[in-house]
Amino acid sequence: MAAAGSAKVALRVAEVLETIVSCCVGPEGRQVLCTKPTGEVLISRDGGCLLEALHLEHPIARMMVACVSSHLRKTGDGAKTFIIFLCHLLRGLHAVTDKEQDSLISKNIQTHRRHWKNCCQWKFISQALLKFQTQVLDYIMGHYLSKHFLSIFSLSTKERTLCRSSLELLLEAYFCGRVGRNNQNFISQLMCDYFFKCMACESGYEEVFELVDDYFIELNVGVTGLPVSDSRIIAGLVLHRDFSVYCPADGDIRIVIVTETIQPPFSTSGSEFILNSEAQFRTSQFWIMERTKAIMKHLQSQNVKLLLSSVKQPDLVIYYAGLNGISVVECLSSEEVSLIQRVVGLSPFVLPHTSSRYEICNTALMNFCKPLILRSKRYVHLGLIGTCSFIPHCIVLCAPVQGLVEQHKSALHGAFKMLRQLFKDLDLNYMIQASDQNYASSPLTYKNSRESTPLPEIVNGSRQSPYQGTVVKNKGKLATTQTYLKVYSNFVVPSIELETHIPRSVQKVTPTDTYQADETLRYLSLAKTRIVDDSEPLMESNSANSTTENTRIEISDENLQVTEIAGRGSMLPVREKSLEMCTSHGYCFSSIPAGCVLPVGGNFEFLLHYYLLNYAKKCHQSEETMVSVIIANALLGIPKILYKPKKGNYSFPQIYVRTLHAIQTHQPMVSSQTGLESVASKYQLLTSVLQCLTKILTIDLVINIKRQPQEVYDQDSEEEV
Amino acid sequence: MSRLEAKKPSFCKSEPLTSERVRATLCVLKGILTSSYGPSGRLKQLHNGLGGYVCTTSQSSALLANLSVTHPILKILTTSMQNHVSCFSDCGLFTAILCCNLIENVQRIGLMPTTIIKLNKHLLSLCTSYLQSEFCGCRILVDFSSTQTLLCLVRSIVTSKPACMLTRQEIDHISALILRAFLLTIPENTKDCLILGKSIIVPLKGQRVTDSTVLPGILLEISEVQLMKILPIKKSDTFKVALFCASLSGDVSDTGEGTVVVSSGVSLENAVLDQLLSLGRQLVSDHIDLLICQKVVHPSLKQFLSMHRMIAIDRVGAALMEPLSKVTGTQPIGSLGSISPSSYGSVKDLCTEKFGFKHFLHLIPNEATICSLLLCNRNDTAWDELKLTCQTALHVLQLTIKEPSVLLGGGCTETHLAAYIRHKICNEPESILQDDGCTQTELQLLTEAFCSALESVAGSLEHDGGEILTDMKYGHFWSAQPESPSVVDWPDLLSRCGCGLYTSQEELHWSFLKSTRHPFAPQTCLPHEAVGSANNLTLDCFTAKLSGLQVAVETANLILDLSYIIEDKN
Repeated sequence: MAAAGSAKVALRVAEVLETIVSCCVGPEGRQVLCTKPTGEVLISRDGGCLLEALHLEHPIARMMVACVSSHLRKTGDGAKTFIIFLCHLLRGLHAVTDKEQDSLISKNIQTHRRHWKNCCQWKFISQALLKFQTQVLDYIMGHYLSKHFLSIFSLSTKERTLCRSSLELLLEAYFCGRVGRNNQNFISQLMCDYFFKCMACESGYEEVFELVDDYFIELNVGVTGLPVSDSRIIAGLVLHRDFSVYCPADGDIRIVIVTETIQPPFSTSGSEFILNSEAQFRTSQFWIMERTKAIMKHLQSQNVKLLLSSVKQPDLVIYYAGLNGISVVECLSSEEVSLIQRVVGLSPFVLPHTSSRYEICNTALMNFCKPLILRSKRYVHLGLIGTCSFIPHCIVLCAPVQGLVEQHKSALHGAFKMLRQLFKDLDLNYMIQASDQNYASSPLTYKNSRESTPLPEIVNGSRQSPYQGTVVKNKGKLATTQTYLKVYSNFVVPSIELETHIPRSVQKVTPTDTYQADETLRYLSLAKTRIVDDSEPLMESNSANSTTENTRIEISDENLQVTEIAGRGSMLPVREKSLEMCTSHGYCFSSIPAGCVLPVGGNFEFLLHYYLLNYAKKCHQSEETMVSVIIANALLGIPKILYKPKKGNYSFPQIYVRTLHAIQTHQPMVSSQTGLESVASKYQLLTSVLQCLTKILTIDLVINIKRQPQEVYDQDSEEEV
Repeated sequence: MSRLEAKKPSFCKSEPLTSERVRATLCVLKGILTSSYGPSGRLKQLHNGLGGYVCTTSQSSALLANLSVTHPILKILTTSMQNHVSCFSDCGLFTAILCCNLIENVQRIGLMPTTIIKLNKHLLSLCTSYLQSEFCGCRILVDFSSTQTLLCLVRSIVTSKPACMLTRQEIDHISALILRAFLLTIPENTKDCLILGKSIIVPLKGQRVTDSTVLPGILLEISEVQLMKILPIKKSDTFKVALFCASLSGDVSDTGEGTVVVSSGVSLENAVLDQLLSLGRQLVSDHIDLLICQKVVHPSLKQFLSMHRMIAIDRVGAALMEPLSKVTGTQPIGSLGSISPSSYGSVKDLCTEKFGFKHFLHLIPNEATICSLLLCNRNDTAWDELKLTCQTALHVLQLTIKEPSVLLGGGCTETHLAAYIRHKICNEPESILQDDGCTQTELQLLTEAFCSALESVAGSLEHDGGEILTDMKYGHFWSAQPESPSVVDWPDLLSRCGCGLYTSQEELHWSFLKSTRHPFAPQTCLPHEAVGSANNLTLDCFTAKLSGLQVAVETANLILDLSYIIEDKN
């Protein structure tokens, strides 16, 4: 069984998904109820969750869902927009290709041939898309859109400090898409409060995000049966269990963590205990008891008032703990233990096995430790004193039903993920085509090439130094680099610059600029060394060492001056300028700096739409124009849905006309809604959708196999037969 | 072959509320709930077709727990109510009926869900801020110097559970007992925070309700055989108690993860028994009078102890351990070896008692906040209902201590609140209209739906076909006998309003609850003397009702906001 034409099928599938998803988009979106086979009832507006719950059967649909979930793993947001955008893109493509088919393909061609021809066409388009994504998009983002970006950081000081009001706007916009309408403001306020309460110092926000994201489940308590408005933040840490024994204590409270039973076991695993007489049994039992007693006494002498244990302790331990005024909490999960360890910086207490003398054990101070009763269930409430930049706080989430608690939980967790993403730089790389017409012919793909020069720094160097530069090309594309260089030497291009392209996944980049002069060649080259804590590329650079020298020799330059504006974290775009006018290509790499935001209500889409259309007008190649126009129009799909319920002055056409006018006349754009959204996540969404689309378009046949999935080697052998 | 089974695709349905089936099932559920509401509510008999236990009830907790609903929307509704009941015990039916009414009324007017939810939220905040405000006309502050208000509150709760099958005298008796049991759990001298004790409900079925009683301390049930063994208890000032949580059964406790090799002829059981007997000797030398063990006590040890005139009671279970340690004032002992003298507890007195056909050992504490409520009723189902009622009442009293207010019951709060909201919206709609961008008509439509939902909750208190009215001064709820002749002589037909605060002899004007009338401002600020003089008021728990109102509106909003249902059929 084969189904032809993936694009058409994909459009049908995407349209179905769009109808479901579009009802949940934006501040006016509604809820969806999902039931699980276990009888649980979930309430959700989260696109990813809905798509998962549908258990789609169609292979193309499953592929889309897989693409969405891989996007979600990266960014934690944008599943609904993903589907809507994809659907509009497919629709646009469909409209264009239909037209082309009519004009191009004569009727006497057989249908079978036409199918394959279609497929060629799809492939062609998908290549154009890929090219667009790698070249045009970054260029437009870096060159045009970047001037509209706002920052979440307050600009008054040089230090990057978080601006509370803009964070509030950002969160409000985020929760508009995630939780029910009547709770949006409340939840976003709660989250904002929580974040600022947890943050010990202004600069420590990254650590807070990381910690909260990692230990989110341990940092909140769900309570059902109460109205949502009863949700609150409480200082300290709440453990989801009760005290085994509680001794009220105040003042100087010290805690200890143990990961094994305090009472020594009769026999340890792998050993054999031989009992020869009843007296021996009695003495060993007596010894165990005395030892337990001694350890607990020791703890008491250390002023320990609380014992946290990751295992169940025997009755004897609990009894002696009670006698010594030590409260005990047992059966902590490993996550809880590691959270406490991280917050207080405390390592578990290791029980001394042989000697009867004990060293001073690891303890930590605490403000209070008391039982907390929520909805007649008892919890342990610890007033830990944080030693890192995270001040422990817990969120108590109340809702009438568990499904709603879960929704709020996942929305809050997603918000932390989103913020964590937002505070990372996102690199863009593109090249600028200069006005010189001679060289504007063929844009070269120069992706993933990496140059590193492990040289000591020589400033204003006039000495000759052994050259050790390496040019590394990922994915074994070294050959193309060489040909490229050769092409240029034939053209007698006076200046060639090799640029460092950083893959987007690399986060921490430490730039060191090294100037190096070569006397004989009078070659002044700029090399940027980037030390990347990523082992794989470095290994590749070693293997490619041998090929570097001949590459380098070919690079000759007469009079090149390099002006460098080095910027950390590329807040400023790093640009190489050549004095000579005939420089054909400048490879720019800039980035979307951390904390870049735009107002909500489709501002990003409008801007990109406008610049893409402008770009398309200047374009010379037909498919590039076509792709740009399709993407530009598809972008409008999202604001169309957002403004659907609005009437009059706020209807979509009105807004569209006004916004475009504002962009043309360089006026600030008007938005009917308040709120901000992250640019980086929008950009990532766009690239993810384009990737998904190219994936869909490159499929020409869907072959349905009605057989149990088998191991790979089985299939191979069968094919041979 | 692996048993990989492909997941079946889910079932996706749009606009669930518009389907006829959902409406019908919602209507059935509402019928069940409204018919059980109030003192004259009809009883429901729940029984499983496959056999088992028949339950006669009119309480929401029992009803909702036993009903099995399949539709996801109903599931949301019932779980929401069950969660409310497990938090507050009271006002479950109120919440459920209000939620059903809201969904039904709002659907009828057919506005956009966005507008509905926004406006519902506004109206709810109007209600909650009014109920919490100083000038609220249906809230009474509890005066703890007399038990009058608290007794009224308890009596209202007991009266509203007809499945307990109590007569008037029995209601009075049980209400007084519940209040006494509650007062016994309050510690006499408290520092900064109040930690309430516990009332343990001891079942005694087949006796008259008036045989129920409250005793301070703990009643431990013992068999007749055990009773025979207990020799007459000698009198003394205090009785020393040893409370064990460790097992005294003589089993060899766990030996770790390794292997234990025992030479032939060596008996570990003997060794442990020796240990137990030496423990017994220690107890005897420490002059212990009573040994209580959570788990099992070895018969030889029991024998040894009874020889030394010590009472041993085992298998009391984990639930009783906390009250026992409170009564005796000690921590449970978890060791079989050397016991420090500080871990023995004591009780003031110890005696055996017989209630009905059961024998009990009664532990009377020196000073503790534990009491036992010995509850009697004629049969099993009525006893279960009575027990639930007692638990509800005790919980409500605890909530009232935390938040010392009560609301007028008998439907008066609902009608009063509805009148207040109507008036408020009619006179000053600007506050809501301003920040919401909805029209005046939309607001009025929704207010009408909201208020009539509240009023019809009050209306479902009447089950005998009587007329339901409201007065135009206080906005209280009145119900008249069925088949009253005409609308002439209301003061003679009506006697008191729902909560019992006002009589019909005042100069009042009445109007049918279902009819349309002009919005009027109900009189706010309850006069103090009016409350003081009336001694037989019907009252409701403030915290439970306020939260119930919020939960009902929130749940209704949630259900109205649903645009799709995705059912996983795997």
